[in-house]
Amino acid sequence: MQTQNLIETTNLTKQYGKVRCVNSLHMQVPQGAVYGFLGPNGAGKSTTLKMILGLARPTSGSITLFGTPMCDKNRIQLLSHTGSLIESPSYYGHLTGEENLHILQTLKGCPAEDIDKVLRIVRLEDARKKKVDHYSLGMKQRLGLASALLGFPRLLILDEPTNGLDPSGIQEMRELICTLPSEYGITVVVSSHLLSEIDQMADHVGIIRKGQLVFQDTLQVLHSHARQQIALRTGSLAQTLSLLRRNDIEVDKEEDYLLIPMTEDDRIADLCRQLCEHHIPLYRIEKREKSLEDIFLSLTGKETSL
Amino acid sequence: MKTLQLEFYKIKRRKIGLTMAAFLAVQFLWGLWAFHDPSEKEKAQGFLSLLYSLPVLDAVLVPPIMAVLASRLADIEHKGGMYKQLETLRRPGSLYHAKALCGLIIIIVMFAAQYALFILLGYAVGYQGHPDAAYYLLSYGLKLMSNSSLFLMQLALSMLFANQMIPLVIGLCGSLIGLLLMFVKMYSFLPWGGNLNAALVTMEWNPVNRNITYFYREYTPIELAAVGMIFVWFVIFYIAGRTLFTRKEN
Repeated sequence: MQTQNLIETTNLTKQYGKVRCVNSLHMQVPQGAVYGFLGPNGAGKSTTLKMILGLARPTSGSITLFGTPMCDKNRIQLLSHTGSLIESPSYYGHLTGEENLHILQTLKGCPAEDIDKVLRIVRLEDARKKKVDHYSLGMKQRLGLASALLGFPRLLILDEPTNGLDPSGIQEMRELICTLPSEYGITVVVSSHLLSEIDQMADHVGIIRKGQLVFQDTLQVLHSHARQQIALRTGSLAQTLSLLRRNDIEVDKEEDYLLIPMTEDDRIADLCRQLCEHHIPLYRIEKREKSLEDIFLSLTGKETSL
Repeated sequence: MKTLQLEFYKIKRRKIGLTMAAFLAVQFLWGLWAFHDPSEKEKAQGFLSLLYSLPVLDAVLVPPIMAVLASRLADIEHKGGMYKQLETLRRPGSLYHAKALCGLIIIIVMFAAQYALFILLGYAVGYQGHPDAAYYLLSYGLKLMSNSSLFLMQLALSMLFANQMIPLVIGLCGSLIGLLLMFVKMYSFLPWGGNLNAALVTMEWNPVNRNITYFYREYTPIELAAVGMIFVWFVIFYIAGRTLFTRKEN
């Protein structure tokens, strides 16, 4: 059975003046996924999420939510199945946490009991009667998540949700996000500029660079790019190359090195023996690992910050 | 309706009622000082004089009060970045209507209280006769319309600008413009001149015996056009505010 995509964008583009912040984006978020939306600062993550939530109007392209093309008329109806936390938590500082949730619960039309449930989930029960102005940044962030969770929507869109949280808060938030699909059936889109964060939470990844989606697939596929290799430097790269090809070994060339996929020790020993037999001097044999960071940087460009 | 009810819920602890009460208290204290010991002539035309004094007073005091009211209603959304949350739950037009209606209800109550207070004050200091209900109602209606226009203008500014100094400064400037207009003539096509246009009574001051005579105003065609302008401003500010707010991206 084919999994339904909860979000599908087609040629989604946003242009401010002459600057194209989001360029022909084809985003697909499968149901039940934790979709990590990854990209350096200023890549267009927030703008994309805002367009999906109808907070910014696309210059061109279309958005399909829950299988229905979104337009101005059905926007609110479609978004009634979503929760969101964009850029920073939204709150009324002069009201208590509970009063804030009461406002959103009334607007969402969900049961009043949800307030207790979400406060328990984000561990803010003890601060429910406290004015939000007196909350720490981390507490505000948790209140923002509680607001998004009200009504237990089908889709949760979280833009950099760990901003402002201390290390234990970050860990708690990550664990919570990971459990949302299995425990509540919520599909999560979470954006971040930190690869390690997405690596710990997501099962699907979209990487955006300068407004363009440069990678989109499962985290497993991304990891498969991060493979280990053996690097060889010999007295004759040409001879070594032909030797490796005769052995049906896939070879990449990188400066003075030949890169071959990681293989068993016996195979390496055999290879060394063959090099000796052909009088090809072996200068270096090294293990190379292409990390997720390397993959990310190669996709997003090394000049951009992580 | 639910959105409107929530507007009143949201302004809990915002002391909007206190601000409006302070405005009425200032006016009432001024009334006590000005009218506490009226002469026989002043008693005879007391209720008539109120229809002149109150609009003049409002021309100076109301613009900043409308700016404060609009700002108190709108800045709660800016401070906590609530628009980006609310606009995923309600259409921007619906949010604008709820805010505008909430403010207009407060204005209706505030000016009703103002009239009630001054009528009671009139009876207390011994004004003769009774207020002319038709003129008082007409004056109240025009006052609501002209000050609601100012409120809608201020609301649009307060909803558009996160920095509330901009609309507040415009409100204060409006107060000065209202004051200046009084020295020029009793009508104006500017939005801040609405209170003067709506004054149904005017006065004549005799410098020799220092007597003031109040009488119902006979509107010239240009003054009537200025009264009509009150309604035009209301429509302009309503449409402009709603359009600008709904087009704004978060």
